[in-house]
Amino acid sequence: MDVSRAGKSAIPKRVGVALQGGIEVREFLIIIVQLSLLMLVLRQFQIENSAFIRLALLTFAGFVVHAVLPMPYRLPFFLVLSLAGIGLVLGVTNGLWLVGIGLILIGLCHLPLASAVRTVLLLLLGGLLVVLRVDWLHAPWSQAVWPILGSMFMFRLIAYYYDLRHDNAPVSVWRTLSYFFLLPNVCFPLFPVVDYKTFRRNYYNTNAYGIYQVGVEWMVRGVIHLLLYRFVYYYLTLSPSEVTNPGDLVRYLVSTFLLYLRVSGQFHLIVGMLHLFGFHLPETHHRYYLATSFTDFWRRINIYWKDFMLKVFYYPAYFQLRRWGPTPALIVSTFFVFAVTWFLHAYQWFWLRGTFLLSWPDVLFWTILACLVVLNALHEAKHGRERTLSKASWTWRSATTLTMKTLGTFSVICLLWSFWACESLSTWWALWRSAGEWLTADARLGLPLLIAAVVIGGTTRDATGGGGGSPQKCGQRTVSWVRSPASTMVLLVLLVLLGIERVHMRLGTTVGTVIQSLRSGKLNRLDRAMLDRGYYENLLRVDRFNSQLSELYMKKPAKWLDQCLDTVGVMRFTTGFAQTEFIPSVAVPTYYGMFSINRWGMRDQDYEQYPAPNTYRIALLGASAVMGWGVADGQTFEALLESRLNREWAGKSYEKYEILNFALPNFQPPQQLVMFEKALTFKPQAVFYVAAGYEMSRAQRYLIEVVQKGITIPYAPLRVIMQKAGIEAQTEETEAHRRLRPFQGEILAWIYQHIVEECRARGIRPVWAFVPQVRKGVWEEETPEVLQIAKTAGFITVNLADVFKNQDLTLIRLAEWDEHPNTRGHQLIADQLYAALQAKQDIIFSPPVTAEKKPIHR
Amino acid sequence: MADDIQKTVKEYILKEFLPGEDPEELTETTPLITGGILDSIATLKLVAFIEERYALTLAAHEADVEYLDTIADITHLILSKKP
Repeated sequence: MDVSRAGKSAIPKRVGVALQGGIEVREFLIIIVQLSLLMLVLRQFQIENSAFIRLALLTFAGFVVHAVLPMPYRLPFFLVLSLAGIGLVLGVTNGLWLVGIGLILIGLCHLPLASAVRTVLLLLLGGLLVVLRVDWLHAPWSQAVWPILGSMFMFRLIAYYYDLRHDNAPVSVWRTLSYFFLLPNVCFPLFPVVDYKTFRRNYYNTNAYGIYQVGVEWMVRGVIHLLLYRFVYYYLTLSPSEVTNPGDLVRYLVSTFLLYLRVSGQFHLIVGMLHLFGFHLPETHHRYYLATSFTDFWRRINIYWKDFMLKVFYYPAYFQLRRWGPTPALIVSTFFVFAVTWFLHAYQWFWLRGTFLLSWPDVLFWTILACLVVLNALHEAKHGRERTLSKASWTWRSATTLTMKTLGTFSVICLLWSFWACESLSTWWALWRSAGEWLTADARLGLPLLIAAVVIGGTTRDATGGGGGSPQKCGQRTVSWVRSPASTMVLLVLLVLLGIERVHMRLGTTVGTVIQSLRSGKLNRLDRAMLDRGYYENLLRVDRFNSQLSELYMKKPAKWLDQCLDTVGVMRFTTGFAQTEFIPSVAVPTYYGMFSINRWGMRDQDYEQYPAPNTYRIALLGASAVMGWGVADGQTFEALLESRLNREWAGKSYEKYEILNFALPNFQPPQQLVMFEKALTFKPQAVFYVAAGYEMSRAQRYLIEVVQKGITIPYAPLRVIMQKAGIEAQTEETEAHRRLRPFQGEILAWIYQHIVEECRARGIRPVWAFVPQVRKGVWEEETPEVLQIAKTAGFITVNLADVFKNQDLTLIRLAEWDEHPNTRGHQLIADQLYAALQAKQDIIFSPPVTAEKKPIHR
Repeated sequence: MADDIQKTVKEYILKEFLPGEDPEELTETTPLITGGILDSIATLKLVAFIEERYALTLAAHEADVEYLDTIADITHLILSKKP
């Protein structure tokens, strides 16, 4: 499916004065059918999010009206549709703020003042927006406005202002407003930098049907990119600490780069949608994975960015510097462009996330890429490169050369990309230190792989046609009303069928499960773990823009619960193994209600240290969800369950029931041992250990953390495991995780067994309960293995993995970026836990066997 | 004069960027920048040629698709800047 990069047809670009735009009924229906199928696919696979699905419906419905309107009304209609889209996604109030600020920015560009004065005014307004963005002054609009406002204006305003100064074309209010408030933009904070002149010049510059058909094809291509991205994101990505052999290394490098499919997929969707309204914009990406050099890569990946850089920065710099000679001017201008790219990357980050990104991996990535592009550019300037207007001739020699160049470029780009995406320099370095041990041994695999690549690459290249930079017969593409839509419709029908559960499950369990998983967008296991950590740690490196996690972070308010708990003074550090504890006898109001700590340092009502006679006391261990993150006192599932037990059971076997909540936020399994020892001093009849996801990973992470901090592990068996794994204070973190991972199960097993043994020694019932976060995909969170460990250890187990089944998760979690249960979620947990306790009443609540008291063994 | 300019520019492009190509393939409407024939390095070489050959000075914003995408566009630009 070849597409000319300019999308121009054989028809001359201007036909007299009148613009084209007519479409035959047959052509119109062909487009409608394809859009209908595409809408089905978007819904079946839940592409992007629900806001985008609604916007797509509005877009396709809008197309039906737009396509039959007389030409003079189309641009105004598109603008109205775009504004309606803003209102639909952001809400009326936020939408009005967004449009209002945008109108002021646009208005400043057109003031009848000298250019220098307008520039100063724009900078002053920009400065005010910066102050509001960092919350030095409180903005009267919602946080949700910022990423979209930034996305619409941070680059397009620069491009627009530049063109205003150099373009003689008359200004059109409809066109200007349409340019900034582009319909798809409200759903995509990452947006291609559409050039204003191109936007103006290419509007219905060829037959309408051709433009629409290209748009549909690009949207389909975008969907395929996004589905491929999901597959890579769910199934291929690894953390650096999981790389243990050459295969893992290749997988890690390639999958990290392939995550870029999300950006290319989104951009294809965006520009495809714009085609439906006559904006015959060029490709945003052109087979960037087939680049044969670094300059070629720069030209193929995010073409709009490259063009923006060329126009606004590179050419002006070069023209200023060319008196030094062409070579020095080329070198300095190229480095200048990459420095600007780095800066604007951080500038973009600022508007989308509210902080300025400054990290050494970022700086080094752009510097290294700049050096490679400069070297390539110097070579091209001296020796030229191959170009042709006709199809390139194919020989085995040319295919081999081309494939080697492509492989080489792809490999280096994957390497650089992995560096850019890594959490830190030390993490990336640790990855390669380990790689050195296996590369020599398995290098012999390289030659057969290389030969295969040459053969496949050579023949594939011939099929796709053309090498790096060698264009097809451009400007000659005419849309066949039979061939193009036919192949697109076949593809769409195939996708629709694959999206039907009864169909894809017939392809086998494995294939069916994979396709089923691709039908929704969710965080993968690595990002989920990062999200969990992010509740408590200030994670600065959630900055891969193609990360779904970074998009969540864009929406998270600057002052969320984590900052609230830190600032209201309910926690303090300790010198012991647990490191933190609640400050006793503190009560503070929070956004979600009162947050009270009793005299014993529990987030709970007050209790006597020892239970009254005929009282059944449960000691509850757990982390943030159990503690009641995001809900007020008395709204936790613990408090609700305690109330219900006293309402319905009190006066039967026991006069009273008490549940003492020893949970703390961010407490990992090893830390629970400390709270368990504290709980024993309150003489419970039962200990309920509530597990969340990633029990093994979190236990591992915590032990590495304490060793690195020089904190003594007070439990001898855990110290022995750490010694066996060779973990010391100076062991690099990624390496420590790699060494300790094989012992994860052993660590958790010992923790659980210890709790059970100490309970049994005291006649205490040990109960293990699993309460998930409010998310789908529990199977990914180590739960089955952890459940088995709990059973083997001797716990009475209660598995509430299905507690949120058949529920609308958006109604029972705190926020999209915070998967803790809200009050409704806590009620569900309390109800299901009550039912489970009722079912196991005889086991859990039978009178305890009096046991000899023993000191705690470590 | 326009024909001379078109001929000169066409010869330069064929010689510098499309050696061995059939001259009939390069027409006055063949897209050069949008068609991938001229990248930034080639565009700057073309600018340098135009400036030297016709004693003109181009501005940075004129190294653009609007002015240099086809031989017809280039000819129009040169004619517009000649006194």
